[in-house]
Amino acid sequence: MEYSAIFWWTTLWLLFWGVVGSIFTRRVYLRKDLDTSNSILVGSMVGAAFGPVGLVPLWLKTPEISRKLILIPAFVSVGIMMIAFALADPQNNCVSNGSFVASQITNGLIIGIIYGLMALGLTLIFSILGIVSFSHGEFYMIGGMLVYYSTVVWFPGLHPVIGVLIACLLTFMLGAVFERLFLTPLYDGRIDRPVEYGILITFGLAFTLQYFVQAVGGANPVKAKRFFDFPRIRLPDKADPWLIKTSRGNMELFDTISISNPRFVASVISIMVLLGLLYFLYRTWTGKALRAVSQDRDAATIAGINPHHMNMLAFAMGGMIAALSGATLVQAFSWLPQVGMIPAMRSFVIVVLGGLGSLPGAFIGGIIIGLVEAAGTGCVPDPQKASSYIPAYGMIVLTLTLLLRPTGLLGRRFASGTHGKL
Amino acid sequence: MGKIKIIIPRILITILVIFASIQAYAASCPIKIGGLAPLSAPGSVTGGEAMREAMLLAERDINAKGGVLGCDIEVVITDTEGLPEKAAAMMQKLITQDGVVAVGGGYHSSVGVASKDVANSRGIPVVFAETWNDTITGDMQKYIFRIAPLSSWASGVIWKFAAQAPGVKYVAIVTENTDYGIPAAKECVEGLGSKGISSITFGVDIGTQDFAGIVERVKAERPDYTIVLLTGEAGFNYAQQAADAGFGPQDTMFHANQAGLESKAWWENVPDGNLAFMARIGVPETMYSDSALKLAADYKANTGKDGIESYALEAYDSIGVIAQAINEAGSTDGDAIVTALENISHDGVLGRIYFPYGSKKSPSEDGKGSEWWHQWPDPAITMVQYQKEGEPSNTMTIVYPEVYKTGDPIYVD
Repeated sequence: MEYSAIFWWTTLWLLFWGVVGSIFTRRVYLRKDLDTSNSILVGSMVGAAFGPVGLVPLWLKTPEISRKLILIPAFVSVGIMMIAFALADPQNNCVSNGSFVASQITNGLIIGIIYGLMALGLTLIFSILGIVSFSHGEFYMIGGMLVYYSTVVWFPGLHPVIGVLIACLLTFMLGAVFERLFLTPLYDGRIDRPVEYGILITFGLAFTLQYFVQAVGGANPVKAKRFFDFPRIRLPDKADPWLIKTSRGNMELFDTISISNPRFVASVISIMVLLGLLYFLYRTWTGKALRAVSQDRDAATIAGINPHHMNMLAFAMGGMIAALSGATLVQAFSWLPQVGMIPAMRSFVIVVLGGLGSLPGAFIGGIIIGLVEAAGTGCVPDPQKASSYIPAYGMIVLTLTLLLRPTGLLGRRFASGTHGKL
Repeated sequence: MGKIKIIIPRILITILVIFASIQAYAASCPIKIGGLAPLSAPGSVTGGEAMREAMLLAERDINAKGGVLGCDIEVVITDTEGLPEKAAAMMQKLITQDGVVAVGGGYHSSVGVASKDVANSRGIPVVFAETWNDTITGDMQKYIFRIAPLSSWASGVIWKFAAQAPGVKYVAIVTENTDYGIPAAKECVEGLGSKGISSITFGVDIGTQDFAGIVERVKAERPDYTIVLLTGEAGFNYAQQAADAGFGPQDTMFHANQAGLESKAWWENVPDGNLAFMARIGVPETMYSDSALKLAADYKANTGKDGIESYALEAYDSIGVIAQAINEAGSTDGDAIVTALENISHDGVLGRIYFPYGSKKSPSEDGKGSEWWHQWPDPAITMVQYQKEGEPSNTMTIVYPEVYKTGDPIYVD
C-alpha cells in the first residue's frame, strides 16, 4: 500500500466516531425513554459516516429509527472506506483495473447466491425445529457425490441435471427418515436437554455420512463433468466480440467480466431453485404452514397445522437444499468426503449474520459474505495473505454485525427455538 | 544319582531358555514398520493411497524373500491427513501403541517437520519418502533420513525450467502456506530473480476449494508463466478453475503440482489440464531397473492405473531400505539401525540408495549445507508434460533436463 497512513487514519477515525456514536446514542435514547433496540447500530453508523456533524443532530432530535436512518450512513461509511483505500493504494487492481473489479464482483455475487442457498436450508431447519444441524455440510457433500456417482459411475452418460434430481430426491428421503427416527424424541419430552441432543445427534449423522462415503467410495477427489458447455458465441461480430465471447468453459462479457461455466450454471440453478422455494413458502398452503410454524408453533397448531409434519418437512427440505448446493458445485470443485466442512462453517456464519431463523436474512447474508470474500481476496494488497484470510473476512463482518446488532441483519429479537415441541 | 541331580536342572534350564527364546521370538514377530501417508483430506489423498499401495507391496515382496531377521514384517500404515498436528500424534501412536521399530513413507513436508522430533526423541529411525522441506534433514537429527529430493533442489528444477522457457519475464507463483509451499516458493523467487526474472507469490491455505478470486488476481498480473505449488486436491481445484477462467494450462505456460501425475485423477478433476508441466522424481519408465519394472507391473495390476507415480516408488523404497538396514544391523535397536543405514547400499526401485553424510562424515566436509545430512543425493528429477488429452502419466513427454528428454515441450503463447 503506497500511502497506508491515509487508509489507517481513516479507519481509526471511523472506528472512533463509530464507538462514540454507539455508546452515547443508546444513552441519549434511554434518557428520553425511547426505543433503544437499534440505537447502537444507528449511533455507530452515523458516527462512522458523519462524525460529530451527524451525531449531534441525532442526539438532539432523536428521530424514530428507520431503515433509511441505518442504511444511508452505512453506505456512506463503506464509501468513505473505499475512497480512503483508493487514495492509499492507487495501483491496486481493485482501484485501477475496472475489468478486474467487475469480475470480482460477479464472482462474489455468484458464489454468494450459492452460499445463500445452502444457508437457507440451515436456517429453515433452525426456524422450525430450533436446532442447528451439524450435518448440513455432509448433506452438501452427499448431494455432490450422488451427482458424481449417478452420472459417472452408476449410469455413465446420464445427464447431470437428472443426477441433480436424483440427489435431491434421495437426500430429501434421507432427511425425512433421519428426522423420524432420531429427532422425534425432541418433541415429546423424552429428552431433558433438547439443544444438546440436537447438536449431538446431527454431529453423529455428519460423522456417519462422512465415513460411510469414505468407506464405500474412497477418499480420492472426484468431479462431475460440466453440466452444459457454453455454445460458441461471438457478439456483436466475430472480429470484435466486445459484447459477449464464450468458450466451452468461460464467458466474457463486455471484454471485462469473466464468468466460469460451472459457477454460472450453478448460480442459475440456484436462482431457479430459490424462486421455486420462495413460491413454495409464500404461495402454497404447505409453505405458509411451514412459515406459520416457524413464527408461532402454538398458533399454527390451533389453526390446524400438524407441527410434526412440518418438522419432518423442514429437516428434509433443509438437507435437500444443502445437497442441491453441493450437486450444482460438484462440477466446479474436486469432491471429497470432507468437502462439506468449510461450506458448513460458512453457512453457520451466514445464518448468524443474516439473523437466526430469517430466510431472507440467510440469502442476503450469503451474498454479503460472497462479496466480502471476493473483495478481500482481490483487494488486500499483500498477495501472500489475501487468499489465506478468506475465512477471516466473513468472521470480521459477522463480529461487527453482532456487536452492533446482536440479532443479525434480519433476525427476530425474541426468536427462540422451541425444539419442535408444541 | 549325583549326576542326575546335576543334569536334570541343566535340562530344565535349557528347556526354559529355549521356551523363553521362542517366547521372545514370537513376541517380536512380525517386525512392525510404520508407514505415514495422507489418506483423508485435507491431505493429498490421491498421493497417500498410491503410497499405501506401494508400502503394502514392499511388505509383500520383503516377506516373500524371507522377511527380516527371520520374521515377517508388518507395515502399519497410518493416516496423517497432511496435517502436522495429526502427524505428530500418529508418530507417537506408531511408536508407543503399535510398537514399530522404524518408520517409512511421509508425503507432506509439514508432516515430516512435525513428526521427526517425536521419532528422534524416542530413538526410532525414520526414512522419509516424499517430504521435501530442507529442514527435515537440516536439523541433523540422528534418527532422521530421507530419500526424497531436497526442496531447494526440486524447486531448482522447477524455476530453471521456467527460466529457460521462451519469453518468460514475469512469473506468478501460487503456493500453499505450508512447510512445503513456503520455502519452495521462496526458492523459486530467488532462483528466478537470479536470472533477472521477476515474480509475484500468492499464498493460500491448504484445503482451499474456491480459487476464483485468486485466479482473477493472477490473471490481472498477466504473468508469462504460472507455477502452482499446491498439493493434492487444491492443486486440481486451482488448475481447473484457472482453465475455466481462461488462464489454465492451455492458455498460459503452467506448472502444476506432481499430484497431477496420477493421470486418472488429473483428467477427471482437470479435464482442461492438457499441456501442464509437472516435476517427476525418478528416471523415466524406459530406464527402470528390473525390480522397478516388476513393481510397476504389480502396482498397475493392483490399482488398475496406467503407471506408477514417483511418490509410490519412494514409499516402496523407504520400506525396503529400512528392512535391509534391520537385517544388516541384526537387531531392531534404533541405534543399530541408524548405523546400518549410514553404511547402507540398497538397490531400490529408484536406484542405488545410500547416505554419504552422517555421523561418519559431516556435509560441511564437502562444503555442503546441513540439509545433506542423511540425505540420499541421487534422486533424478525431470520435468514432464501432458501433450495429449487423457494421456496416461507414464507416456508423458519428458521435456527437461536434456539427459532424460523424450520430446520438445509445447509452450503456450
